[in-house]
Amino acid sequence: MSIRVAAFLPEMLRHLFKKPATVRYPFEKLTVPKDFRGTIVFHPPKCIGCMICVNDCPAEAIDIIRISETEKKFKMILHNDRCIHCAQCVDSCPTKTYTINTEFETTAFDRHKLKIEYK
Amino acid sequence: MAVLKPILYILVYPGFLFLLIYSTLCEWIDRKLYARMQNRCGPLHTGQSGILQPVADLIKLLAKEDIVPEEADKGMFSALPVFALAIVCTSALYLPLWHYAPALKSFNSFPGDLIVVAYLLSLPTLIFFLAGWHSTNLFSTIGGVRVLTMTFGYEVPLFLALLSPAILADSWRIAEIARFFQGRPLLLLANVIGFFIALIALQAKLERVPFDIPHAETEIVGGPLTEYSGRKLAFFRLLTDIELVVGSGLIAAVFLGGFPGGLFWGLFWFVLKTIFVIFLLAAMRATFSRIRIDQMINLSWRYLAPLGVLQILIVIVLKGMSK
Amino acid sequence: MEFKVPIGPQHPALHEPISLRMTLEGEVIKDADLRLGYNHRGMEKLMEEKTYIQNLYLTERICGICSFSHQTCYTQGVEKLMALEPARRGLFIRTLVCELERVHSHLLWLGVAGQEAGFESFFMYTWRDREVVMDILEIISGNRVHYSMNTFGGVRRDIDELQKKKILDSLDLLKKRTEYYFGIGSTEPSFVGRIAGVGKLSREKAIALCAVGPTLRASGVPMDVRKDDPYAVYSEIPFSVCTADSGDVLGRVVVRVKELLESYKIIEYLLLNMPEGPIKVKSPRKVKDAEVVSRYEAPRGENLHYIKSNGTDKPERLKVRAPTLANYPATIEMLKNGYIADIPLIFAAIDPCICCAERLVELADSRSGERKVLRFSQLRRMATERSANVKTRKKEALWPF
Repeated sequence: MSIRVAAFLPEMLRHLFKKPATVRYPFEKLTVPKDFRGTIVFHPPKCIGCMICVNDCPAEAIDIIRISETEKKFKMILHNDRCIHCAQCVDSCPTKTYTINTEFETTAFDRHKLKIEYK
Repeated sequence: MAVLKPILYILVYPGFLFLLIYSTLCEWIDRKLYARMQNRCGPLHTGQSGILQPVADLIKLLAKEDIVPEEADKGMFSALPVFALAIVCTSALYLPLWHYAPALKSFNSFPGDLIVVAYLLSLPTLIFFLAGWHSTNLFSTIGGVRVLTMTFGYEVPLFLALLSPAILADSWRIAEIARFFQGRPLLLLANVIGFFIALIALQAKLERVPFDIPHAETEIVGGPLTEYSGRKLAFFRLLTDIELVVGSGLIAAVFLGGFPGGLFWGLFWFVLKTIFVIFLLAAMRATFSRIRIDQMINLSWRYLAPLGVLQILIVIVLKGMSK
Repeated sequence: MEFKVPIGPQHPALHEPISLRMTLEGEVIKDADLRLGYNHRGMEKLMEEKTYIQNLYLTERICGICSFSHQTCYTQGVEKLMALEPARRGLFIRTLVCELERVHSHLLWLGVAGQEAGFESFFMYTWRDREVVMDILEIISGNRVHYSMNTFGGVRRDIDELQKKKILDSLDLLKKRTEYYFGIGSTEPSFVGRIAGVGKLSREKAIALCAVGPTLRASGVPMDVRKDDPYAVYSEIPFSVCTADSGDVLGRVVVRVKELLESYKIIEYLLLNMPEGPIKVKSPRKVKDAEVVSRYEAPRGENLHYIKSNGTDKPERLKVRAPTLANYPATIEMLKNGYIADIPLIFAAIDPCICCAERLVELADSRSGERKVLRFSQLRRMATERSANVKTRKKEALWPF
């Protein structure tokens, strides 16, 4: 391999006239793909209360609470501050109760405000 | 009244206030060019497309806590940034901006002022070494030693390069050299080699890539400036900016034909020529990687110094032919 | 005159805390003293408290850059424990993501090598082109880092035709840019002057000090787990092991760039020859009593996981030996008789992933300052006694805020 001085220079000068590659977030936003793992969504009518999701969650972010003595109705509390967005609950659930959306801009100043309740 | 005019020159234009404003503008231009060559944005939000970013950095540094290491000599440690800034601002006074009547000798234009400027510009290097020494930190000491070692490399080629236009123009006064080349613009081509040597040596004096060995961030944390913070660091950063302006102004005056035309046109030529030199320096900064200290000394004594001698030979031959 | 310079734990050259105390004479390094443990997180203990499925996500968080290598190594090991044969299409997709991770890691490394040498423009350009790979990984797996694609018996997500086409188109761009960077990295005189002849490791020393990965292959030893002990579908794919002869940092750059070009070929082969079928098979929850050692070729070298199961749904013991840990003795050998200016380059040339390697620790009593070395059984007993009263489930834990 020979040595060429300033081999990088033409590329540099060409880039003076190109648009920068930076995305000026948050003034410009990038679109995320459709299968992006964002926040978990729970559909209460489908839940049968097997608690597999509670056992499988690596971050212990799911609470399933029975809200009716007579019928099999459950509500779910998602601790979004503990959730690592792995979507294991989506895979483990036998009745396909969980779906995942593309929301990822969930920030707050207090971690207790990040609890989402699905009734 | 006669006393007021020099004071105005020193404090306002082309003195301290003008240097403050213009050096921050030059730093912005340099950062924006460097960023655009790397396909990124550069300063963006402070002021219209980031033009106030260097000013914001200086204000932030002035407001931060100022820590002096326990074992350091407090007096020397605090006085060095002020000395360095004063020296560089003084050397800016000798640039041939509009207020010269060409035949008149004044306090800032006399035969030999080229040597005075070159000497004044080499003093900050010594001050960096002293700053590193007085910081009593191991990284600063290594950085200070590297600064002095680098001086042995680039000073001689720089002086040789600055010498050749002076020989051609028959004068040691910057204003006269500039006027000589304004009259005969074709002779500027005889100094092309010297121009490039002076650019490389200026890059080494300003400690920018590929010669930012003394304050190599990934190796010795901060070099001589490791322990400086707050106001003292702000002075050192301002020093680097003003040195950039003065250095490029000196090269523009001696190699590119000076700044003719009085107040308005002189300022216009000054801005244009210094921005051209800064563009070349920014391109050099973006294209190369940092070299080691022994490679740098090798480079300057094997290539730069002989080229400087060659440049002087060319100039002497030209002078002999023209006689 | 000798003096000691501390590089780390806090230093701009290091991305993670590690302490290297160098003994210097002028600008030449005479000796280096390595101290680890600043990044220890207690992963192995935590993995014993969680089930196998929960550990899938914990193993990938051992590291951010080589996350998939840890998860795949673990998954392969547990599949061997379960005596489970994974689905073929799942294995192909698993290998595809492995190679994509290798591409992204080597592009990242090229940028970091440039930055340690002071070549910032090179850093910016390689990382800009690495965004192409990150976007592909986001499309396939749903996240840019921590892909979480593995599950026992295969993978969790499938690839459709549109994604395949997108990957194949990006491969052309990446190939061109990689060859351009190879040209720059090997001919730019200021850069080559910094990396040629620096950090020499001879072939005999490399084998004697148990170096792994590109560090070993740059000294001319063609050892690669993908060829020596094939896992996933590597036994079917035609590729060659990349070596270089110089044994210095330039050799390591050459090896990694050649591996990049090989990876592009492997990815193309995988995409064009992917079989149809299911992407996973059903796996049991409880694993019978057994132990297994699983090996994997991470971008940095050979990754080793030892898993012991005891019949329940939680592992008995999981030990991780990351490739960087195996490269540390070779680094100390390379640092001797180098210059200060070479320290960041030599250290960056082994591609240090310090958080992967923080698995061992030396016990020092903070009150008396005495240090001891314990047997593993004594250490386990001490740790179990200390943690017997601590409530480990988050519901009962006392949150301090």
